[in-house]
Amino acid sequence: MRPGYKKVERMNGTMRTIHWVNVTSMIVAIATGLYIAHPYYQTFMADGAVDKYVMAWNRWGHFIVAIIFDVTSIIVFYLSFATRFLEKKPYEKDLPSGGNIREFFEVFLNLVTLNRRKKFDSSYLDSFNAVYFTIFHLLLAWMLLTGLQLYVHGLGAGVSSIGSWWPWMLHFITDWTIPVSGGSLMDVRISHHYTMWWLIVWVVFHIYYQVWRTIYWNEGDISIVIGGSKYVKDEES
Amino acid sequence: MSDRIEGVKKLFTSKSSRVDTNRGDTYYKELFARCQARLDELKAEQPVNNRVDISEMLETQGVDRRDFMKWVSATTAMLMLPSSFTPLVADAAMLMNRAPVIWLELQDCAGNSEALLRSDGPKIDEIVLDIISLEFHETLQAASGHQAEKQMDEAMEHFFGKYLLFVEGAIPMAMGGHYGTIGASGETFHDHLLRAAEGAAAVVAVGSCATFGGIPAASPNPTGAVGVMDVVKGKPLINIPACPANPANMVGVILHYILTGQVPELDSLLRPKFAFGYRIHDNCERRAHFDAGEYVEEWGDVGAKNNFCLYKMGCKGPMTFNNCSIVRYNEGVNWPIGVGRGCIGCSEPDFWDKYAYERPMADAKIKAPTGGVEKTVDEFGLGLLTAAGIGIGIHAAASLAAGKKSDDESGESK
Repeated sequence: MRPGYKKVERMNGTMRTIHWVNVTSMIVAIATGLYIAHPYYQTFMADGAVDKYVMAWNRWGHFIVAIIFDVTSIIVFYLSFATRFLEKKPYEKDLPSGGNIREFFEVFLNLVTLNRRKKFDSSYLDSFNAVYFTIFHLLLAWMLLTGLQLYVHGLGAGVSSIGSWWPWMLHFITDWTIPVSGGSLMDVRISHHYTMWWLIVWVVFHIYYQVWRTIYWNEGDISIVIGGSKYVKDEES
Repeated sequence: MSDRIEGVKKLFTSKSSRVDTNRGDTYYKELFARCQARLDELKAEQPVNNRVDISEMLETQGVDRRDFMKWVSATTAMLMLPSSFTPLVADAAMLMNRAPVIWLELQDCAGNSEALLRSDGPKIDEIVLDIISLEFHETLQAASGHQAEKQMDEAMEHFFGKYLLFVEGAIPMAMGGHYGTIGASGETFHDHLLRAAEGAAAVVAVGSCATFGGIPAASPNPTGAVGVMDVVKGKPLINIPACPANPANMVGVILHYILTGQVPELDSLLRPKFAFGYRIHDNCERRAHFDAGEYVEEWGDVGAKNNFCLYKMGCKGPMTFNNCSIVRYNEGVNWPIGVGRGCIGCSEPDFWDKYAYERPMADAKIKAPTGGVEKTVDEFGLGLLTAAGIGIGIHAAASLAAGKKSDDESGESK
């Protein structure tokens, strides 16, 4: 540890695991999702159909990672209110209080002034990143709802391997996405595809910003998601 | 604000597209008794105007009783009723001439009238439709001008509150509705429809134009065309979209009305669930090729010759609700995917703009959320990504040029 710096624990094992599960899920979901949207590789004509099952496997992979992603998102949602690992619960940083709004703009100014101005405490989650992560979860929630709506019609007869409650519930919680996205299942489909691009853009900026922080703040931010901690100047030393 | 609250309420209470094919014995026993009572009541009544007898008609067309009963049991299944209802459905078909029907033709190509009349057989669906008491049909009737209007007025007065109003075609709303006028008095389609709807027991919008505006409403929609459900309020309304609507579904709706005196169960777009509860994709004969990843890559290739899946040629079966993969057209002879071309989603709202571009959705030119410019979803996404990349590039370059200076000077920063 650099002298004069102290270690700040930011993500515990569970949170880091969830982060990397999400990363994997997202890569798989995009690769399989693009195939489902437009099958971009061909199968061998000579193989029997039963041996190929290519679209079916792509869809299987897409659904499995989607469900994993859904479950981790629900855990993250729960943790943002319930975590006892962090002193301040993440949701508190989203609230539009005067302090949070000021912090949000201070962090933003720090980014656009290329670190010429840094007037906030960077040891814990700041309001700018909290809002940015919240946007991610809203996009994910929309993917979850539209995705399940597209999926449930495959269970057209109202039964599934885990019982009829499952399609019933999916209809109940996702049917409203049809009128909201424009009136037909195609609109839901288009919206699901658009939202993928917003998520990709989200990720691109997220990675850039964390790397940028690491380089310019000199506080080892990038290691939060690997080792779980970062370093900040110890005021007392 | 109250508008918004109403909107949200409507959103979460709108009818689900969930299909329930088994409602339990008690439900069906009760329904059976109700239907039987209604049919007895109808039997006692005289046929309205059309005195054609269906059994005679079937006989002259060379359809024997056995064929008719086969059709009846298929129709019973289509209406999602248990097989014990078969005799009731047969009775209801015989009593089709107890239902007075007024048919309006507005902004469209008469394709649904064609479907109704199509007589290459004629098949049982079409024969049964001949039996309905068609009191007024602009395209088919001999009368014209004031005579025709008089006939419509009489029919509306005589069967007030009892007739089924079938509407074919969109309603042009632009320019005060003057894109479409009818009759000697030059009544606009809009006024004409509202007048006819007033005394209707129920309104049935037939075909995609009448349901969602269809092709007349396709972008840029010069005539401001809308569907019946955007105009007619406060009446039971049934939508039978598709281009043209399948006569089997028209028969289904009328039979259901004769049988139960009610409109069938509808989805959120007011389409009967018995016909539009399932996706084409899930009952498609080429579905196995979809799962296997076997697609027609271009017209006339080996895949096309082997009836491979048409998804990559732009088939919209996975996003389209209709029963044509089950009942097909022309009494089960064939249907679009069966003849080797993809589904264009003709039974969905805005199908001409959102479905019928004959490419996979990912390649389709659709309106970007910014409006105006037509882009594919992926072009838009790549644009978004490029913009983000450029922004990041500028920020990174500026950061590099400016160096790691911080105003938090303590000698640590370089």
